[in-house]
Amino acid sequence: MASGTVVFAARKIITMNPSRPFATHVAVREGRIVATGTAEELCVGDAQLDTGFADKVLMPGFVEGHSHIMEGLMWLMPYVGAFDRRSPEGRLVTGVGDIDAIVARLKEAEAQLPDDRAALYAWGFDPLHISGRMLSRHDLDRVSTKRPVIVVHASFHINNVNTHTLERAELLHATNISGVVSGPDGLASGELQGIPARMRLFRALGNNPQSGDITEADVNRYAASACVQGVTTITDLHNDLTDQTVEVYRSATTAPDFGVRLVPALASASHKPEQAIAKLDMVREHCNDKLHYGIVKLVVDGSIQGFTARLRWPGYHNGAANGLWYIAPEELPRLVDAYHRAGIQLHIHTNGDEATELALDAVEAAQTALPRPDHRHTLQHCQMADAALFRRMKNLGVCVNLFANHLYYWGDSHYALTMGPERAARLDATGTAQRIGVPFAIHSDAPVTPLAPLFTAWCAVNRVTSGGRELGRDTEALTVEQALAAITIGAAYTLKLDHLVGSIEAGKYADFVVLEEDPLTADPRRLKDIAIWGTVLGGKARKAPRA
Amino acid sequence: MTPASAKIPVTVIGGFLGAGKTTFVNHLLATGTARTAVLVNDFGEVNVDMSLIASHDGDTMTLTNGCICCSIGTSFIDTMCRVLDAPVPYERIVIEASGVGDPWKIAEIALIEPALRLDQVIVIADGSRIVQLAGDARVGDTVRSQFDRCDIVLLNKIDLVDADGLAAARAAVQGLRPELRIVETARGAMPALAQLETGPSLSGFRVDSPSLDGTDHGAQFSSWCYRRDGAFDRAALADALADMPPQLLRLKGSCRLSGQDGRTIFQMVEKVWSVSPDTVDDIDHGSDIVLVGVGTADLPAAAMLDAILDRALVVEPVLSFTPYPAET
Ligand SMILES: [Zn+2]
Ligand SMILES: [Zn+2]
Repeated sequence: MASGTVVFAARKIITMNPSRPFATHVAVREGRIVATGTAEELCVGDAQLDTGFADKVLMPGFVEGHSHIMEGLMWLMPYVGAFDRRSPEGRLVTGVGDIDAIVARLKEAEAQLPDDRAALYAWGFDPLHISGRMLSRHDLDRVSTKRPVIVVHASFHINNVNTHTLERAELLHATNISGVVSGPDGLASGELQGIPARMRLFRALGNNPQSGDITEADVNRYAASACVQGVTTITDLHNDLTDQTVEVYRSATTAPDFGVRLVPALASASHKPEQAIAKLDMVREHCNDKLHYGIVKLVVDGSIQGFTARLRWPGYHNGAANGLWYIAPEELPRLVDAYHRAGIQLHIHTNGDEATELALDAVEAAQTALPRPDHRHTLQHCQMADAALFRRMKNLGVCVNLFANHLYYWGDSHYALTMGPERAARLDATGTAQRIGVPFAIHSDAPVTPLAPLFTAWCAVNRVTSGGRELGRDTEALTVEQALAAITIGAAYTLKLDHLVGSIEAGKYADFVVLEEDPLTADPRRLKDIAIWGTVLGGKARKAPRA
Repeated sequence: MTPASAKIPVTVIGGFLGAGKTTFVNHLLATGTARTAVLVNDFGEVNVDMSLIASHDGDTMTLTNGCICCSIGTSFIDTMCRVLDAPVPYERIVIEASGVGDPWKIAEIALIEPALRLDQVIVIADGSRIVQLAGDARVGDTVRSQFDRCDIVLLNKIDLVDADGLAAARAAVQGLRPELRIVETARGAMPALAQLETGPSLSGFRVDSPSLDGTDHGAQFSSWCYRRDGAFDRAALADALADMPPQLLRLKGSCRLSGQDGRTIFQMVEKVWSVSPDTVDDIDHGSDIVLVGVGTADLPAAAMLDAILDRALVVEPVLSFTPYPAET
């Protein structure tokens, strides 16, 4: 072996390379994989043996094909969601499952703030997870009557505030406005929905915490979360890519110790196609080993649990009105066609099946007008597609990234409210994708649900809701092997990075996740609990922080 | 509380993609005098004319709407805050809602924000497409809900439909809300805000609302639409216009002039008229000449007015292209 070669020894290496699926050693040089094999095969010449992982299991570093940089911003605020989450410092933040526990968590955070009457923000609340109970202003008044207390919902679309905030925003009596929900006493309950109420809130408080520029610290926090969860390639799947962001990404990713490969998607909503195409040409110059520009995100509809996804007949199970188009149906084919012609890979958010069908119509028209081999346009979320839609994906060369975490977090709501029993059983139909042969990945959409690919794989394998109901386990569940493929080489394929990452084989980046246990022999019900030591990125080991 | 007089009036303009929202915004800028802030969606079908904005010392801000970050309105909120905090206050704010959005959800800004006052929510409907759009399986619900809370509907592009089409378009809108005020418009024949605000009796445009006795409240004024293929001879047009009866107060629209490429914007108020090249890409494939006239109630019959303008038409050989036959 040429000089500078390091050979990592491991208990087991799961390569995700079908032509050499397992090994005990991997040789690395210049940040890339030289070969996998045995000690005898690789420990030759002046290769240097590293036995630091001798008792660990190596896999290709996980690839999170759909998450957002916002995950890096949330952790500056206290978390008040119902389920456990791990912070970028590796701290296990336990879920708070009822109003009293939420108030207690907020009181604790309030006590740590200086006595300056500055606002206390918290995030992650979802009433669907505490049996539909809403936080009232009275609940939040128990936290403080002197400073604004604002709880941002997991959906980011709704805020709950205390009475002090309502008074400052002059909203306490403003319940004739649709976004200001009224309580039993006829005054505002503290729940604020929609853009007008949010704007009033931020104006009254003097700032908008959801705007403002991202900083290198935010990006580094995102990278730290990735390391904690064994992720070595991560997306930021909807970004305006302002000059400021482009500069922060350039600077962060070229710092010698930056810990993840970042794949931002340009938000089509902020640009006309010709501007977006020109912008991508410009930002591509900033690409480096750890920064991969080139993909574009389109958002067609809203979310299922927010009743804003577009559904085909018979619509929402509980009879709710159909959802919202974020792109006009007649506009979508024009957009898809423009990007398709420019050779750009599209990531198209479609939650409801009507939106999925529309997106497939648009891709079909673009492919008919200009057949493009290997375009790999990818449907994101695509939670309600039936077998016929998957067959169309297959025929059109479309990939899919399914939102497996939804099974656990909102599966009960989908069964009871949004989709009903039959459609909920094929929610995020990984089994159908596998059978029909549509290239697929699974994702978290962090910060919407926690960034944690092993948990995402666990969801796809067990298909169990937080309430304990199994959804299509016999027909749609993945095997552990299939699920591990979906969070590595499968996700890499949807990002057109499968020649660089997603498996451990010669020539690719030396990106590994270092596990304490073998996921292929562990009980599949414990997949999410397998401990992660950390990652190796470009041959450089980084132990995950544990706080 | 801010005194009502100091509040900035807000006009929200809604309507489906392609209805003519941005055209109307441009028209408002061209006809208005107030220092206006315009918030538009980037994907308007026609770009807002920056020179119009500059000429009124106003400002335009583009918005984006998408998902996660964008659907929570960050861009809109930031932009609106900049408008509200402008060192020299704006006298009017015009917001163009997204083509697939609900204009009322934006209009509530003006009800909730103490510095603002909601003036009007205007929804523009494409007269040539509203029947089809309102019944469309994919977008019908979106299109119909845009009319739920609006104050007035501009039934636009009426130059592209015949009398039956116009009746059907009116019926489609009135079927949603029978009491809705409907103003018929076309490019080059759009009302100013003041005309919409002052109500039917003073408006120079046909503003209808059904009433129990069935009388037409627009009857104090009459309108006339002239539509032809072909082009005018400029000198002959000048003669024809000089012969127009005094009851004709205004004539606006677009036309072609012989010997010139492209369309021309035509405007006449009283007897003073002007033409200017139409710089906006034309996406309408209607007639070459579309002029909408407004006159007093005793405006002579359309046929007589048509005959005067017909004298100015140039008779040119018709070039026709034969497309592939549909059936062979
Ligand atoms: Zn999305
Ligand atoms: Zn997302």
